Order: sequence, then C-alpha cells, then structure tokens
Amino acid sequence: MANNPHPPSVLVVDDELLIRWALCEALGAKGYNVSEARDAAEVRTALSRSNGFPDIVLLDFRLPDSSDLRLLADIRCRLPAVPVVLMTAHATPDIVSGALDLGAYRVLTKPFDVREMVTLVAEALDQT
Amino acid sequence: MSNADPVPLDHDGFLRAIIESSDDAIIGKTLDGIIVSWNNGAERMYGYAAAEAIGRSIAFIIPMEHREELQNILLAIGQGQRVPTHDTVRVTKDGKRIDVSLTVSPVLDPHGRLVGASAIARDVSAAKHTGAKLRASEERYRSIIDSAVDAILLIDRRGRVEAFNAAAERLFGYTASAVLGRNVNMLMPEPFHSEHDAYMARYLTTGEKRIIGIGREVVGQRKDGSTFPVHLSVGEMTIEGERKFTGILHDLSARVALESQLREQESLTRLGQMAAVVAHEVKNPLTGIRGAVQIIGSRLQPGSREADVIREIVGRIDALNALMTDLLLFARPPQPQLAEVAPKDTLEMVADLVRKDPGAREIMIQIVGHSDPVRADAQLLKLIFQNLLLNAVHAIGGPGAIHVSVECRGSICRIAIRDTGPGIPAEIQAKLFTPFFTTKARGTGLGLSTAKRFLEAQSGTIAIVCPPGGGTIVTIELPRA
Repeated sequence: MANNPHPPSVLVVDDELLIRWALCEALGAKGYNVSEARDAAEVRTALSRSNGFPDIVLLDFRLPDSSDLRLLADIRCRLPAVPVVLMTAHATPDIVSGALDLGAYRVLTKPFDVREMVTLVAEALDQT
Repeated sequence: MSNADPVPLDHDGFLRAIIESSDDAIIGKTLDGIIVSWNNGAERMYGYAAAEAIGRSIAFIIPMEHREELQNILLAIGQGQRVPTHDTVRVTKDGKRIDVSLTVSPVLDPHGRLVGASAIARDVSAAKHTGAKLRASEERYRSIIDSAVDAILLIDRRGRVEAFNAAAERLFGYTASAVLGRNVNMLMPEPFHSEHDAYMARYLTTGEKRIIGIGREVVGQRKDGSTFPVHLSVGEMTIEGERKFTGILHDLSARVALESQLREQESLTRLGQMAAVVAHEVKNPLTGIRGAVQIIGSRLQPGSREADVIREIVGRIDALNALMTDLLLFARPPQPQLAEVAPKDTLEMVADLVRKDPGAREIMIQIVGHSDPVRADAQLLKLIFQNLLLNAVHAIGGPGAIHVSVECRGSICRIAIRDTGPGIPAEIQAKLFTPFFTTKARGTGLGLSTAKRFLEAQSGTIAIVCPPGGGTIVTIELPRA
C-alpha cells in the first residue's frame, strides 16, 4: 500500500496530541494519508469542504466542544458510506449502543493498542 | 347539738333502732313469703312504704325471670337452712331493676321453732356498674397497649419492669413473663446496662431530666444479644403514691438501615460521577502516552536496553489502566440487564481466557455440572467469574487445580469454585468483601466487593469458606431462569 498513488485517507479526531501523533505515525507508516482534527469545529470544517473526504474517521467521543453522540450523527449523515470508529475512555452501555445504532463501525475502549487500531482500520476499509 | 339528753333504750329497742338505721333493706317474712316487717332501708331501696309492703308476698319485688329463686329460698328456709349471700336482681316500685347482694336466714322463736325468715339485701348496682366500667376501661387501655405498634413498658422507681406489652415482646424477643420483676437494664447493652441504675438514682435525687419528657435515640439489646437503634420517650407518673416510669420505644432499625442505604447510594452515585471524570482524565492521556511510547519503541533497536525500558513502560501503563478499570467497575452503578444465561457456558468461556494467564500455566481448571440457565446479566456474570477464577489462580500461585461445579436445585443454581490454594486465615476472611482490602502486592481490593455488589444486584449471593482440608470454596447462588 505504501506505493499506492491514491492511498486511503484517515481522519483522526482527538484533542490529545499524543494520541493523534501515535495514530498518525502508525497509520502513516502503513501508507495511509492521515489528517487530524482537534475538536468538533475542525471536523465540521473538514466535512464542509466539497472534496477530500476521508475514507474512514477515528473519532474521540469526548472533545473540548463535544461530549455526546451528535458529532457522530452528523458525520454519519454527511458521509453515510464512511466507517467511523468511536474511541472512548468511558464506554457506558448507553454510549456503546447509541453509537452502534448510529452506524458506528466499532467502539474502541481507551486505552487501546495502536496496532489494534491499525488492524481495525484495514479491516473496516476492506469491507467498504 | 341537741340540748335534750338521749333517751336510754332497752335491748329490743336498741335492736329495732339498729335495723331501722341500716342502709341495707331488712325484711321479715313468714315461711310462705308474706312480708311482716320492712325497715327504712327497704323503703329507700325498693320505694315502697312499710304500709304498702307488709302483708304482701315478697314475690312483688322479684322480677318474673327470678321468681323461681323464691321457691328455692322458701324451700331452704323451710328446712331451717340459711341462704348464703348471693347476687341477684330485684325490682323497685318505679319498675327499675337493681342489683342486690342478698342473704336470707331462718328466724326462730324463743322456743327454737322456725317461724319465718329475714332477708338482708344491699344495693350493689352502683358498685357493679362502677366495677364493670372499670373493667371495660381497663380492658380498653390494655387492648390499646397490647395492640400498640410501639413497645410500651412500665418500671418502678428501682427500675423493675411492671408491664411489658406485646410489641415489647416482639421487639426484644423476650416474653413478658421473662422480664416482669427484673431490672429494665436487661434490655440495654453496655455501658447503659451498668449505668442505668445510676441514671435513675440521679434523677430521683436531683430531679434533673435528661430523657424524661424529652425522648431520644438509644440502643436496645434483644434477647439474642443483638442491638438495635430505638427512639425512647419516658413519662413519669404516680400510681397509688408510687413513682413509676413509662417507656415508649419506637424501633428505628428500618429507618436507620434505610438512611445508611441512601447514604451509600449517594456516595456510590458521587463515586460514579467522579469515575466518569477520572476515566476520561486518566485513561485518555494513558492512551496517548501508551501509543506514543509504542511508536518510539518501534523505532529502537530490537533487543536494546531502551526497547526493554519501553516495554516496561507499556506494562506499567497497562497496570495503571487495570487499576482504573477496577475502580470504574466498582463505581459503576449495577443496572443488571437480566436474561437467561447458562453459567456453565460463561464459565467455560472465562476459563479459556484465564488459562492464557501466565500464572495459570500449571493449573488445571475443570468445570462440571448442569447447563441450566439462570436469570442474570451475562456481562456482569462474566466479570464476576473472571474475578473469582483469577483470584483462585493467584491464591494457588503455582501448580494446582480449580474445580468448578454448577448445581441447580429447586429455584436456585449454585456455583462452587474450589481451589487447591492455601486457604484464607480467619482474621482475613471477615474482611474479604470490604472494598479496598487486599492481600495482593498489586491489587485494588475491589474484586470481591464488586463481585458481591454485582451478584446482589441480580438477586444472587456469594459466600466464601475455607474447609479444614485446605483450599478455598467460593459459592455463588443465583435464581434459576
């Protein structure tokens, strides 16, 4: 994939710099085209652009300007074909079932192994 | 004061005067019941003047339904027998029935011949009425006291129990007969048991009221030695010149238990809110640190000292995360989603996971028994089994075996997890379910208390015993589906 002229693009949404960096590095090493967003506002800006939609979104549940499932709902509404992996440090049954009902591809509980996320991204893109 | 000297009476005159001045009705009659004398007392009691009564049969003051009494009386008198004092009913001139106490005796002439009878009657209507009223009133008070929900007792000035109602019997577990006459301090735990006599003595000498008329929460002690919170109000009274004290006790056990349950719930709710915040504030950076360290580690020379250090760091982060997970589980309000779950299947699944634990390499885990379902939350059940099997693995700490049996009988399914570990010392057994109590070098001490809470939320129970033969048996009971 490293030599793919149109590598799949991944949008990593997290306010934690270290998480963004680790995911960008790990996914970049696998040849993905990774972009970052730090909060819901940056995600909405990215989605309002007419081109360059991500092929997959890795979304933190809790962001400085978002602490519910509305951002996930917005993404699913705007890009119904794009898988979204929700990351959360506190996966209550309500959050998990709510996210899956909105069509989230998977809910991954923090902390996770970066390699696990890389595997999950490949699997999700394989299926789409 | 009369200024005339009293007229001396002869013997007969004196007797007549006695008869006339008596409050009792004294009537003379012939052997066939004809009235021959009728004193002032008879006039007052029956309402007839002597002139109206004399010459008539005594039957006219006897109500119809008592007429046969007369036959019996006349029969007895005819045989020279006395009719002993008895209660009966007579009727007055204005038709009113009165209760009388009546004695009829034979009258002999100076030659000893039987000539008639004397009847002495005393009006006992008022006394009877008062007695009945008193009995009714006493009965009413007794039934109030005995049907009271609160315990009521009466003690004398020395603290001896004189009354102990039915609620008191229920509250303390003693029958009234076991308490009456004994010192009320038998119903109190120490130090009140020893100090109560002094409390009473102080009050009796100083009059200083510490509880009388105030009421306060105190501790009672049941027959079985258990103690309970109770609200006591004490009243003081004087009965026939003796000072007595009444105690009314209202059992506060349920209220106190409810209060502590509410407090516990409140603190769990706060803990849950705190946990959600801590989870995010701790787990989120842990994720970042773990990921970043992992990436850096992947760029180091494999097998280098730095790469080893990175692996250690990741291990420590995982241990911190495990601690957080335990805390979060403990703080999580258990809202079980009950469904039919076969505990044996869950056990098999958990055992497969546990067998992968490095500590379990030399441990044989065996699961036998029924595969009947129970009503439980599958997720919670999995966490509970995982906790218990890992505990067993850690307890064994080397080669050994864990034997799990599932047995369903009646409405209960019993799961027993037995390990070949060293068992648990008695002083530790008592603290097993106390949150944050642990004997492990690295442990939160939350595993068993969480397991207990989760089980109780699913109407289940957990008990731990260490048989003399060694090892530990954890027994879980859950309602069968």
